[in-house]
Amino acid sequence: MRQSQISRRVAAVAVSLVLAGGAAACGPEDAADKASAGGGPGASGSAPQKGGTLTVLNNEPQSDFDPARLYTSGGGNVPSLVFRTLTTRNREDGPAGAKVVPDLATDLGRPNADATEWTYTLKDGLKYEDGSPITTADIKYGIERSFAAELSGGAPYLRDWLVGGETYEGPYKDGGKGLDSIVVPDAKTIVFKLRKPEGEFPFLATQTQFAPVPKAKDTGVKYEEHPVSSGPYKVAKNTGDGETLLLERNENWDPKTDEERKAYPDRIDVRSGLDAAVINQRLSTSSGPDAAAVTTDTNLGPAELAQIGDNKELASRVGTGHFGYVNYLAFNPKVAPFDNPKVRQAIAYAVNRTSVVNAAGGSALAEPATTFLPEREAFGYTPYDPFPAGKTGNPAKAKELLKEAGFADGLTITLTHSNAQNRQTSPEIATAVQQALAAAGITVKLEGLETNAFNERRWDAKNTPGFFLSRWGADWPSGGPFLAPIFDGRQIVTNGSNYNHAQLNDPAVNAEIDEIAKLTDLAAAGKRWGALDKKIGEQALDVPLFHPVYKRLVGKGVKNVVISDWTGVLDISQVAVK
Amino acid sequence: MTGFVLRRLGAALLVLLALSAVVYALFYLAPGDPARLACGERCNPQQIAQVREQLGLNDSVPTQYLRFLQGVLAGRDYSGGAGLVLHCDAPCLGFSYQNDRQVTELLLERLPATFSLALGALVIWLVIGVGTGLLSAVRRGGLTERLLTVVTLAATGTPVFILGLLLLMAVCAYLRWLPFPTYVPFGDDPEQWAWNLLLPWVTLGFFESAKYARLTRSSTLETLAEDHIRTFRAYGVGERALVTRHAVRGAVAPVIALSAVDFGTMIGGAVLTESLFGIPGLGKTLIDGVRVVDLPVVVGVVLTIGTAVVIAGAVADLLYAVADRRVALA
Amino acid sequence: MSVLTTGPVPAAGVTTPAAGTGRQVWRRLRRRPSAVAAAAVLALLVLLALAAPLFAQLTGQDPNAYHDDLVDSARGGVPLGSFGGISADHWLGVEPGSGRDLFVRLLYGARISLLVALGATALQVLLGVAAGLTAALGHRILGRFIGGVTDVMIALPMLVLAIALTAVVPPDFPRPLLLVLVIGVLDWGGTARLVRAQTLSLRGLDFVEAARLSGNGTLRIARRELLPSLAAPVITLAAIKVPTNMVIEASLSFLGVGVKPPTPSWGQMLSSAQTWFRADPAYVLLPAGLLFVTVLAFTVLGDGVRTALDPREGSRLRVGTGKERTT
Repeated sequence: MRQSQISRRVAAVAVSLVLAGGAAACGPEDAADKASAGGGPGASGSAPQKGGTLTVLNNEPQSDFDPARLYTSGGGNVPSLVFRTLTTRNREDGPAGAKVVPDLATDLGRPNADATEWTYTLKDGLKYEDGSPITTADIKYGIERSFAAELSGGAPYLRDWLVGGETYEGPYKDGGKGLDSIVVPDAKTIVFKLRKPEGEFPFLATQTQFAPVPKAKDTGVKYEEHPVSSGPYKVAKNTGDGETLLLERNENWDPKTDEERKAYPDRIDVRSGLDAAVINQRLSTSSGPDAAAVTTDTNLGPAELAQIGDNKELASRVGTGHFGYVNYLAFNPKVAPFDNPKVRQAIAYAVNRTSVVNAAGGSALAEPATTFLPEREAFGYTPYDPFPAGKTGNPAKAKELLKEAGFADGLTITLTHSNAQNRQTSPEIATAVQQALAAAGITVKLEGLETNAFNERRWDAKNTPGFFLSRWGADWPSGGPFLAPIFDGRQIVTNGSNYNHAQLNDPAVNAEIDEIAKLTDLAAAGKRWGALDKKIGEQALDVPLFHPVYKRLVGKGVKNVVISDWTGVLDISQVAVK
Repeated sequence: MTGFVLRRLGAALLVLLALSAVVYALFYLAPGDPARLACGERCNPQQIAQVREQLGLNDSVPTQYLRFLQGVLAGRDYSGGAGLVLHCDAPCLGFSYQNDRQVTELLLERLPATFSLALGALVIWLVIGVGTGLLSAVRRGGLTERLLTVVTLAATGTPVFILGLLLLMAVCAYLRWLPFPTYVPFGDDPEQWAWNLLLPWVTLGFFESAKYARLTRSSTLETLAEDHIRTFRAYGVGERALVTRHAVRGAVAPVIALSAVDFGTMIGGAVLTESLFGIPGLGKTLIDGVRVVDLPVVVGVVLTIGTAVVIAGAVADLLYAVADRRVALA
Repeated sequence: MSVLTTGPVPAAGVTTPAAGTGRQVWRRLRRRPSAVAAAAVLALLVLLALAAPLFAQLTGQDPNAYHDDLVDSARGGVPLGSFGGISADHWLGVEPGSGRDLFVRLLYGARISLLVALGATALQVLLGVAAGLTAALGHRILGRFIGGVTDVMIALPMLVLAIALTAVVPPDFPRPLLLVLVIGVLDWGGTARLVRAQTLSLRGLDFVEAARLSGNGTLRIARRELLPSLAAPVITLAAIKVPTNMVIEASLSFLGVGVKPPTPSWGQMLSSAQTWFRADPAYVLLPAGLLFVTVLAFTVLGDGVRTALDPREGSRLRVGTGKERTT
């Protein structure tokens, strides 16, 4: 889901997952990295110890530090230190980190026969920072308040999945009735009633909306200043709307109830609003407190990678990560000439993925992609390449197809892109595509829009451009949140944000999506998502360009770097500075 | 005098009103739906509608503008959820779509950075600019003067971001005398505050210094040409003494007045310098606001800038009048 | 208004005597070596800019063609080879990431810089003279109104509004034209005020009075008697405006609201070069140096023109004391 980048909130998402996703999920060709991930950056020296202050140097502030408003993958990085959720991501290196594990709950949830009802039981001895017990009523309340218009920002799944979710307006306007589809039989049990089978519900329960919020402590939009902690740290200071955030130990957090968070440092000092160049410079110099510093949202840029070059000391402190994400060329097949499959195929053949990858920052920051799904097992990755363009494109084959399509004399089309400087949907990528298509006799005119206008065009089902740059990131590591919003015909939204750009409404595809959603065996589901991706890919409804890679620098004194295939970033709950 | 001040004040208010209306109108023509922007990614239509209602975006544009003006003069209330009513005191510049914050609060938070930048630049141009100007007035026709001419021309010609970039490149990347600047608030650590602002100060101060050197020099020379100075000279008073004790007075009024104008303009945000050095001031806030079409922030910053410039202009006139009695108030 | 916010040259109310014949001015200008050198630099630049397609042919380089083989993809796309990848084919090296030819891109960038700077100046002068003359010669109420608008225009934070305007105009509007319009329309206040003040003082002079008495209409007087006398100060102001406008264009492009890719522009190149100053210094220094030299040449020439038109002012060093600096 992640796509816009400029909105702060979105960026916050992008931060907590995507960009922040910078460090380490490893691709097949990254086997070496994977092996070294645990012993990768900062592996030197003795075993990790408790104590010290970890500094986090970030670009985007932790604004909206309210569990109802955060849009995270797996509960986010900094937020996950304060908010515990029913389930959470497995804090392990590599592919094992893409698993979902229990957090506040005793298990991943008990589904009924058709996976439309999920029941959770809380662990014993769970307490808030003030020592009062955590109850399921507070989890229900936390979810309900995420429906309030004042607290907008989270992911859409709760509204889409819970019975009555589409019309519920939150606890401030419901006259105390609450949302009936969340049932709390007792203080330890909670039951969710869904509109249709959702085998991946345990993944959703990792998001911060599933963190408990005591109703008596709810202060509406001001709750973000001091949200009540259920995790190993509590907010000691929050200034400038999350620009600086000081977290201290929550003495009422019992490590015996939490197998995932290590919480080595005594304090976490989050400083944001810094320029990417400054963050990387400070991490590389690592002087004073910066030696015990990490970033959860800033990647190394191409120029910085060029600089690190052959500096072994610096290179040893760079972590590599992959987050489920794809950048692609999208078509609107309702617009001529993209209604002609041969034209779409010709473009797929003509694309030069080497220049595109270079424009995205080079082979260290992007991997050429021919599949929509990221190259990770958790997503159900199944390799396919229906229109082999080779490394630098096949203009001859493209010309041939254009001739068959009736465009023997060439073709002029418009490519819509954004002006954001993100090396994703930005002018660099667009001009690389423009150049490659020129070789196949296709003249591409560029239409660059400011970020908001670009997103609105892209998401407007009635006015979608014929040909544009787009991108998609996973809310959790599975094929579901990757393929369903993009290719499910029933998710075409005509009066809001539509992500099914091709407006594909194929009964067979829809039926298969429903069938997979019923599976609670996630491995079996993965295989079928992969097969579905391949089947859709053959229709050339889009041209996958690349999957981004994240390169993250850590300070000299940072130990126990863990980077999972879920977030692709260094997991802040595992880091030690002593 | 009172009449003069009142007239200036009235004109200033009109300028500000026109400015806010123009920016407001402009941004309603801009692409982008504020409700969707405020709602965040993947909002469903119902949610967007709720947010639109909450932000009062269903009313006509003139109504919204009037409400905005009312907020500036009298303050406004917002629903904060959980039965909470947030009061935004006058001058309330509205509520940022992007940051979920009151614009006034946001701007007040950014003001110290901009103020710090302008203050340091002011010191530099007063010391270096005026100093060089006086020096060249003493040694007319010498090497100093020729150098001054060249440097001034170069300073007029260089875009500020080129000097800033080159300084960053030389001082931070190659010589490594300073780390890459990060703004540190004065209250947190005055020493770090100064070190980190040094490069931006030098960048801005350099240009302004050249301008002030010229101004100082020409005003001093004008005074030197006046009758009473000739009399002093005839009595055998040395050239240096003439300049430092007498002629310098001629430069005081224009330098002070122009400083007021420049300082006001800089409070309004040195957009390029702030962007280049990542200083979280008004200028950077504005650029970020424009990029995401965050109307309340843009209107707020433009009004603040306008106010600063207008006040500075008025102060300059008054200072000029006080410092130089010969100028009658028009 | 403020004594100091008046246009930079010459102070309002100062009557500039006829600046002498064109030939005299030309001779004075030629006697200044700095002005001659600046003019030579600019002539060369204009020539290069005009000949950009020719050079593209000569070197065999398209300004937008990608060269994947000239950059090191594993190292962020840094150009292979020394000094930013200088070679027989790529005289000034290539751009990191894309491998596009820098020499040809810089030449095409010069076209944008020159076009926008000159175009915007022409528009400013046109609007300024029209508004100034109307304010001085038109009806009293009209004059007041225009005077007020002029004051507002001068007080506007120019760069800020330019940024805002470029963001709201539809993307298919030609960008160079948009930049000319935005810069031209937002910054004519100074010219208008100067022209108005000059006209008011000229109006009382004998030769204008004589023309009026002999029954000439306002328009005719404006054209026959006033415009020639206004030429000197207006040309001076225009000469100073050109480099200012060039800096504004570069600034807007630097901030990402100027011309759109793949059209090359110096400001835009500098903005993407920002992060590269350590890994590929040539990429920063080339556009920076070119922009610096060009703007400096225009400034020196402008200064020369001013002195040549008004020799009395020669020692006053007024350039750069205006409020037009872009910070």
